Amino acid sequence: MTTSRLKVEDIKIFSDAAMAFFSQTTGHKAAVRTAYMLGSEETVVWNDFQGRIDLSGHYRGSVTFSAPRGLLTHVLLTMGESSYTDASHRDIVGEITNQMSGYARRHFGESMDISPPRVITQGEDVTPPGFNAAPFVIPMLWDRYEAHLVVRMGKAGGL
Amino acid sequence: MKVRSLMVVDDSMVFRNRIARLATDQRLAGVKVVALAENGMDAIEQAKLHKPDFVTMDLTMPVMDGPACLEALRTVLPEARVLVVSALSDRATALKAMTKGAHGFLLKPFSDEQLVDSLQELMV
Repeated sequence: MTTSRLKVEDIKIFSDAAMAFFSQTTGHKAAVRTAYMLGSEETVVWNDFQGRIDLSGHYRGSVTFSAPRGLLTHVLLTMGESSYTDASHRDIVGEITNQMSGYARRHFGESMDISPPRVITQGEDVTPPGFNAAPFVIPMLWDRYEAHLVVRMGKAGGL
Repeated sequence: MKVRSLMVVDDSMVFRNRIARLATDQRLAGVKVVALAENGMDAIEQAKLHKPDFVTMDLTMPVMDGPACLEALRTVLPEARVLVVSALSDRATALKAMTKGAHGFLLKPFSDEQLVDSLQELMV
């Protein structure tokens, strides 16, 4: 999963963040499955809820965490939450994205600007303007559910 | 037993509820959650009203963020002890929070035990 532009540890930092969220918050570890690159014909992965951060600076692009409702409901249940509204599902996706932002800030330091995490809705354009690098998809398995981490990143000026 | 009042400040409803729930753990005897705030501005208003002894504070929030709120709380609530609970984990962020009046720092994500331990340390 290495390209000439991107180091594997630069991508792994995002799956590490999501893994840490599941492990610490629910007490149950998630598993990362084999990552793959999306083809040009299938540039989007959509589950029920997705949170995204945009990156600029030394690298540019975006990272999206996409999860099905069932997974998030189960996470809420495990956390002892009694509200299973859309708002609480969006809240959890936002928090997972927030973890990724925190890990990225620590890993990349001042070489990268990271937008505030935001929850995006289906139909919204997920490709940063002028960005044509193919996205990596990292499937994550938690309990019996599968979520996806979609990483679109490239070194600035190298796209 | 002296009641120890706590305000939870976090823009995530799920995390506000989780922290409030864990704060009533039996290891933290006498803790009463008196306010839940979803941003810094809300926290200042609630601090004036409820005068909590302790505060847990997220850093990244809309309207007014944690560092600005910490600074304002030093005037509104000078005696309160504050635990920062944040996913922002670099050294500079922690240092900045401490210089603005925080008494502890807990990194998100955290386990139930880690939060209870941190609150115990805050309340010693």
